[in-house]
Amino acid sequence: MAKILGIDLGTTNSAMAVVEIGQPRILENKEGVRTTPSIVAVGKNGERYVGVTAKRQAVTNPANTIFSVKRLIGRRFDDAEVQRDKTLLPYEIRKGEHGDVEVKMGEKWLKPAEISAMVLQKLKADAEDKLGEKITEAIITVPAYFDDAQRKATKDAGEIAGLTVKRVINEPTAAALAYGFNKKKDEKIVVYDFGGGTFDVSVLEVSEDTIEVKSTGGDTHLGGDDIDQRVIQYFISEFKKESGMDVSKDQLVVQRLKDAAEKAKHELSSTIQTEVNIPFLTADSSGPKHFTMGFSRAKLEELIRELIDKSISLTKKTVEDAGLKLSDINEVVMVGGQTRMPLIVEEVKKLFGKEPHKDINPDEVVALGAAVQGGIMQGDIRDVLLLDVTPLSLGIETMGQVMTKMIEKNTTVPVSKSQVFSTAADNQPSVEIHVLQGERAMAVDNKTLGRFILDGIPPAPRGVPQVEVSFDIDANGILNVKAKDKATGKEQSVRIEGSSGLSDEEKKRMTADAEKFAAEDTKKRELAESRNLGETLAYSTEKMIKDNDAKIKEEDKKELNDKIEEVRKAMKGDNVDDIKKATESLSTAAQRVGGDLYKQQPQTPPADETPKTEEAPKEETKN
Amino acid sequence: MDEPNKTETMDHEVKAQEYLDNWKRERADFINYKKDEAKRVEEFVKYANEDLILEVMELVDDIEIAAREVPGVGLEHVIKKFKDLFKKYGVERIKVEGEFDPALHEAIETAPGGSKLQEVRAGYMMRDKVIRPVRVKIIK
Repeated sequence: MAKILGIDLGTTNSAMAVVEIGQPRILENKEGVRTTPSIVAVGKNGERYVGVTAKRQAVTNPANTIFSVKRLIGRRFDDAEVQRDKTLLPYEIRKGEHGDVEVKMGEKWLKPAEISAMVLQKLKADAEDKLGEKITEAIITVPAYFDDAQRKATKDAGEIAGLTVKRVINEPTAAALAYGFNKKKDEKIVVYDFGGGTFDVSVLEVSEDTIEVKSTGGDTHLGGDDIDQRVIQYFISEFKKESGMDVSKDQLVVQRLKDAAEKAKHELSSTIQTEVNIPFLTADSSGPKHFTMGFSRAKLEELIRELIDKSISLTKKTVEDAGLKLSDINEVVMVGGQTRMPLIVEEVKKLFGKEPHKDINPDEVVALGAAVQGGIMQGDIRDVLLLDVTPLSLGIETMGQVMTKMIEKNTTVPVSKSQVFSTAADNQPSVEIHVLQGERAMAVDNKTLGRFILDGIPPAPRGVPQVEVSFDIDANGILNVKAKDKATGKEQSVRIEGSSGLSDEEKKRMTADAEKFAAEDTKKRELAESRNLGETLAYSTEKMIKDNDAKIKEEDKKELNDKIEEVRKAMKGDNVDDIKKATESLSTAAQRVGGDLYKQQPQTPPADETPKTEEAPKEETKN
Repeated sequence: MDEPNKTETMDHEVKAQEYLDNWKRERADFINYKKDEAKRVEEFVKYANEDLILEVMELVDDIEIAAREVPGVGLEHVIKKFKDLFKKYGVERIKVEGEFDPALHEAIETAPGGSKLQEVRAGYMMRDKVIRPVRVKIIK
């Protein structure tokens, strides 16, 4: 079955995706990039450029470089929007025969749909190249506010590019589909889309089989570019303050400031302070001038707060337009690269009192959703979406009260995993399998799902018995945990239903706790692990002394026993470094004594004390 | 009496066939996906250093400007070392010659009637991929 290409035909950038094994995936273009500038140009000799190459030649050829054509597609020339944009666009447009818009590129007058078709053609060709198969069908997204004429023109663009447009869907709907919200019944969703050049907000209502747009709003001239501009202007004025030089007319300098502004903006999404450092930015009679400045997230936010506030009040208004209260909204979805900015997330969260969804790359979510729509139409998705994932990790308690994960969270079910464990003490007759769910490092901090005991383990030194523990979750989410003693074949199991049947609150709390206590948990785990290591070494050294009583010198015995004592003493405390130090010291001494033992009897090969377990790593269950 | 009637059996057969077909399709998709994934990993490994190299490049840009502004202090030797390092990872500087070609060049400024290229910031190829185009000014 040929794939349906999902296309986010954006004002500034476009992206494409297909469904593979039930999951949507972004396709890179020929240049190896996941988004393609929606720019088309024709050069002096009639050669056509689409995407990044068109962008790179723009300043050499502004009159024939067509960008933002989405602002014109399917509109009447007399539209207020078109009249406004006309003054901003460096290329020529005119009124067509039917009152529509025509764009001049090279010697020809073209319809906006023909220009968009060129972008679509490139995407189609690049996708075919990437997939090694013909693409003939596509889903194309448009803003929710697009009227019939604009939708029709977008569809035409697809057909001109040689694509059968299976459906034209709304961008916010696509975003909701990418998050799988079409399965939610009777939910109200807000999609907040802060793109490069436009800001769109939509309220959607999901009901049986349909996603309906309740209201739309936004600002067609508010976007990330405005944010960048403000930062660049700030840099220019700061540099002027410092050096007295006005660099705003020097394109080369402005370009370097622009690079620095973009970089700083990205960095300030993850850090709260960065440094702008542009050596040799320019020069005057006194010599070279460098530009160095600390730039904080707070300052960035101050510069652009007004823009964000505007988007927030537009969002509020759009929700009101839908006849809803802010508290009626069940989900908020973030779209557009700008939404990576922490201030935006924070303000949106404050407005709705809930965490917005931003797990899916906001530059790609619309294209992914378009691909999902294609998948649904082909029946590709229907089957696969039924597959659930485990919301939290599952595991068992092992020596030192540590939670050892068997199945990581977000694993797609059905799934089964097994691992071989052993005993923690000599002649241990039974092991307890304590089944846990959660993300915390220590057993007590997780939820107990069940426990059982496997007994009848034949007497053996610690670490020798092999107990295979297997976790199996079937397609219905039922967990089966089985423990089997490999020596006797004896087994015991427990069946846990509804292992994923946690309430949403419970899930959220457990995940949040795991984050909150991450640092503390790491410490606890490290402590438990160092104790386990210390105990294992103390045990094996004692065993070595006992087994070789006659061969070890008294003074060595004393040294080893003292060091074992030190390790055990350190283990009683909470200081990981102390335990590690004592363990290390014991380890060095034990190795030396062990080495002497071998030298005494070079002919006999060393006895292999611990049998090797199979592939699975061996750990010790608590007794 | 308990025998299922014929239509019921047929229904089940149809269902079973459908499930089997879906399963086969899923397996095939998965095998294909694995193949594609192997290709992607290969590609990924080939260009894995790209991001790091791009960042290092920015430092080299600065050193190049410094070498131009403050000649004679030996910075060219430092640049040479960086170039050798880049070469080791299959990264070569794009020569600036001939006509403007947006596949290799990015125009920042253009003089009316200009057609010659002046490099403003170096561009680089990593194997056969342009990882950063040359920034040029088009002059007379």
